[in-house]
Amino acid sequence: MDDLLNEFLTETGESIDVVDVELVKLEQDPNNKEVLDNIFRLVHTIKGTCGFLGLPRLESVAHASENVLGKFRDGELQVSESSVTVILESLDRIKEILAGLEATEEEPDGDDTDLINRLDAIAEGGDAPVQQVEPDTVDGEIIDPGNGRSLKAGEVSLEELEAVFANTPGPDDSVGQDDQSPANSSATDSNASLFDRVGGEDTLAVAAHLIGQRVDTDTKLKKYFEGTNQEQRKGRFMGLMLALFKDDIDAADAVGRQLVTVAGFGEAQFDTMLELVKSVLSECQVKSGVVDEAVMTFELVREAVINASKAVAQPKADAAGRAKAGAKQQGAATESRRSSQSIRVSVDLLEDLMNMVSELVLTRNQLLQITRNMDNSELGVPLQRLSQCTTELQENVMKTRMQPIGNAWAKLPRIVRDLTVDLDKKIELEMLGADTELDRQVLELIKDPLTHMVRNSADHGIEMPAERIAAGKPEVGSITLNAYHEGGHIIIQIKDDGRGISAEKLSGKIVEKGLATEDELANMSEAQIQKFIFHPGFSMAEKVTSVSGRGVGMDVVRTNIEKIGGTIDMVSTIGKGSSFSIKIPLTLAIVAGLIVKAQNERYAIPQISVLELVRATSAEKAGENDHKIELINNTPVLRLRNRLLPLVFLNEMLGFCTREDIEARETSDDFIVVSQVGAFTFGLVVDQVFDTEEIVVKPVAPILKDLDFYSGNTILGDGSVIMILDPNGIANKANSSVSDAAAEEDNEQNQVHLASGDEKESVLVFVAGAEHPKAVPLSLVARLEEISVDDIEQSDGRLMVQYRDTLMPLVLADPAMTLREKGSQPVLVFTDRQFTMGLAVDEILDIVEDELDIKLASDKNGVVGSAVINGKASEVIDVTYFLGKAFPDWLASKDMSIEAGVSRGSERLLIVDDSDFFRNMLRPILKVAGYNVTAVNCAEAALKLMESGAMFDFIISDIEMPDMSGHEFARAIRENSKWEDVKLIALSALTSEKDINRGFEAGFDDYVAKFDKDTLLRSLSQQFKIQGDAA
Amino acid sequence: MNDIVVRDNMSVAATGAKDFVTVHLAGQQVGIPVLAVHDVLNAQQITVIPRAPDWVAGVLNLRGRIVTAIDLRRRLGLPPLDEGKSSMSVVVEHNEDPYSLQIDKVGEVLSLENQLFEKNPVTLDAHWREVSIGIYRLKDQLLPILDVDKLLAFESNSKAA
Repeated sequence: MDDLLNEFLTETGESIDVVDVELVKLEQDPNNKEVLDNIFRLVHTIKGTCGFLGLPRLESVAHASENVLGKFRDGELQVSESSVTVILESLDRIKEILAGLEATEEEPDGDDTDLINRLDAIAEGGDAPVQQVEPDTVDGEIIDPGNGRSLKAGEVSLEELEAVFANTPGPDDSVGQDDQSPANSSATDSNASLFDRVGGEDTLAVAAHLIGQRVDTDTKLKKYFEGTNQEQRKGRFMGLMLALFKDDIDAADAVGRQLVTVAGFGEAQFDTMLELVKSVLSECQVKSGVVDEAVMTFELVREAVINASKAVAQPKADAAGRAKAGAKQQGAATESRRSSQSIRVSVDLLEDLMNMVSELVLTRNQLLQITRNMDNSELGVPLQRLSQCTTELQENVMKTRMQPIGNAWAKLPRIVRDLTVDLDKKIELEMLGADTELDRQVLELIKDPLTHMVRNSADHGIEMPAERIAAGKPEVGSITLNAYHEGGHIIIQIKDDGRGISAEKLSGKIVEKGLATEDELANMSEAQIQKFIFHPGFSMAEKVTSVSGRGVGMDVVRTNIEKIGGTIDMVSTIGKGSSFSIKIPLTLAIVAGLIVKAQNERYAIPQISVLELVRATSAEKAGENDHKIELINNTPVLRLRNRLLPLVFLNEMLGFCTREDIEARETSDDFIVVSQVGAFTFGLVVDQVFDTEEIVVKPVAPILKDLDFYSGNTILGDGSVIMILDPNGIANKANSSVSDAAAEEDNEQNQVHLASGDEKESVLVFVAGAEHPKAVPLSLVARLEEISVDDIEQSDGRLMVQYRDTLMPLVLADPAMTLREKGSQPVLVFTDRQFTMGLAVDEILDIVEDELDIKLASDKNGVVGSAVINGKASEVIDVTYFLGKAFPDWLASKDMSIEAGVSRGSERLLIVDDSDFFRNMLRPILKVAGYNVTAVNCAEAALKLMESGAMFDFIISDIEMPDMSGHEFARAIRENSKWEDVKLIALSALTSEKDINRGFEAGFDDYVAKFDKDTLLRSLSQQFKIQGDAA
Repeated sequence: MNDIVVRDNMSVAATGAKDFVTVHLAGQQVGIPVLAVHDVLNAQQITVIPRAPDWVAGVLNLRGRIVTAIDLRRRLGLPPLDEGKSSMSVVVEHNEDPYSLQIDKVGEVLSLENQLFEKNPVTLDAHWREVSIGIYRLKDQLLPILDVDKLLAFESNSKAA
């Protein structure tokens, strides 16, 4: 069978099974968007693939049901039982067609118009009257006769079958017996339904008896059953029918081969025999429908019976030969049922294999070690052989997991070719780096996304030939796939030279779909807008074609890639083309690990986080150019290329010894593993560095999950278990112990301490006018610019500068300062919606991480107050004042200004959000606006604050948080008297009406979209107003 | 692995009797339901895990599987084994993860009549009461029975540890 088709069958079979289950789930929970999306995607994929394989029947059925599902998803249709029934029916139809496909490699003939009409009716007008499907519409094709019908427990009695065979003496009895045994064993779970409906064993016995008798009287058949007496014939027919009606094909096959002992029994004779069987069964009061079904099952053994007769025709054929023929034929039958070059093996099994092989390697090594010490051992040669085999086995088992990415690309050329035909385009597909290997698990997961993306590029990216020529491009478009390794990751690029993604067109779509407002889009860069194609429910295609364009595409791609820890990015230039790049980890299980030693124990550090290794000489011995560890106030650091590298002693980290021990010990050389975690680079001091080994990461036992020092453990080549260090956890630990030594002593205290607002943030320090520094939270600054003094103009008594095609007003940060006379003036650019202003300063000093804790409020214009930053008293400027100064209409333009509405510092605000980003973004904004802001990273911490007696006027809470969601949090607060009256504002990225209502139900007073800063401020000020009025 | 001495009466397995492997711990015999035991191993090379709870002895390699070793003495509040003496391992499973209970020595397999069983006396040490199903009265001594699942239910007590 065609590889492509074969794969399609397997895949679609799996998808259908999933959809079956999911649909039922959906019916019970019609609002579950996740389930719906999943179903939609699967059906979409089926439809898409059918199109490429040229399966019109399948495609039309899938298309019709996808239409209905699409309506569900868009909310145009309610999920109802009747509509789900019809969709399920269409799935059954798909299965039916698939079965036909598998058998014949061609779509079976049939008419689906009725089904499609009903689906279309539903899609158009909601609930069309659903025709109840007649039971057993699947006439003729008995795909799975047993399925769905009740099974009588213990009906199948093997003993019976066996007894029947035993009662069947004959020349080839022994062969028969031999053949039975495997058949019998597989009969254990066969289904008894047809057997039951025929009337059970009694009816069969009568029928078999009659058949046995009639055969003798039938002139056409008589001679083929010569040599057997009536009893024997009865036994064989009985056995055959038992096996057939109990759906035990193997047994039936075996019995069938014994049925005729005379040569010349062909198709015609078999048909005659069927007539006979049919008439006998009818006589036995079996219902006609059942008779047909029963007779149909005889078709399964038609070949076997006829072939057996042919085998008899060869006079020399002995019993063994016949058995062989039977076996061969049986083998052929099996193969046709699932012909394929490869089999699917579960990753677990491979994992087990790998474990066993590692164990084998270890044992081999031990053996080698032993024989090495023995002279002249006889074991030498066989052991050598064993060793070699083991090595090969190991390599091959490792290989089973790694596969060239080309495997995932194999079907792409065909898909692109078909597309070019379908779409009348000319496209060339170039594939580079197809032999780049990656883990099979990863490969499986990126296969579909890749296909989807190539399809998208061909469908949407590449223009029609005429269009291309008009644009001055070669007629033939090109799509390039490129895969390569880069730093422990695999990068896959999909590049086309098509029309690119038009941000303008997208904008329209985005607004239409309600994903963002025009105002929001106006503030977005082209690249940001282009990223919307990854948004769920977004479709790029102008019209829905059968090729693509249901808006599931890029969404699925992104989800799948992120599932395996990868990222996807896109660059697109109008008229030039688009380029997607996917970055995925090489493997999910095997990593390169650097083996190091601390206190006689070995540890592995993932190579990916190791930047370099440095050897430090002890301070005394160190020469001019040697690296040495130095101490600043007891903090060890290393000078590395003119940078100070903070150091962490692994021995100390793991509690082997204290800092004093380390300092007191005999000075010796240290090895420093320079590691990077995010932006934090630090040196890990270890006793010794061994080498790099490929290690198989195994998760640690649940009990050790709390230890964030380790990311897993592994078994080394010599059989010892070692722990894999987690640089992340170590960095965290190092950070916390550096910043606050007491932190460890009282964790809980620390939590509250942290929560009370002492978090650090980035502050920009500058001077203007006066000597003392001024400061502003960096998060408020849009850009830093150096503007040439010559460009600064005066107009209407105000300073202006032409900046990015508009006039930007310039304001002096201090009345006392003057502009420079020549050269360039440093300017901080602030942006608020359409307002952009420049704040001229004398000099930008630094960006520091510090607490922005305003100690003294100020009544001076433009100053919020004073804070100690970097050890110096600094004025924190009030950006709103300057904005107001630059744009007199700025304050008025704000619907309600929070600054205007409330008295400063009186309102206490609690932000609950697990995202650092949002906490850090909101805190300074609100803080500078004059609120007493506290931020915590989870609902539990907030509740702890409540218990500790803290009081707030407002709480802004995220909805989606780990452990305790915003809804639960809101409920918890509403039920509790302490914070009952606190205003609750939900802050979430989920902004559908349903979500908002859920929020209100949970007890939130307002609901604000997470990406919408303006609304948040407005909502806050509104809430504050109400609060203020009431007070 | 042949340290289990099979008593003659084991095969009898009369109704109303259960089988237990006995292990020695600081002079005390303790029973473990025989069906819970997967392996009994001699002294193994155990990798220590720094910063782990003190009753986690470390991890060991059992035919390619990584097994977490639990120091049963510590878990039950007994003094540590004398230096230089090696412990044996009884491998059990909990939630499909293998654990090795480090014990002094494995004893024998006993088939015990149900009528010899009694609940824990309320005065039993908290460490023991927590992980013991009950106690069998043997002729010469008492045999507390370990509840392997409770013993390994770390989720609840890992924070306390």
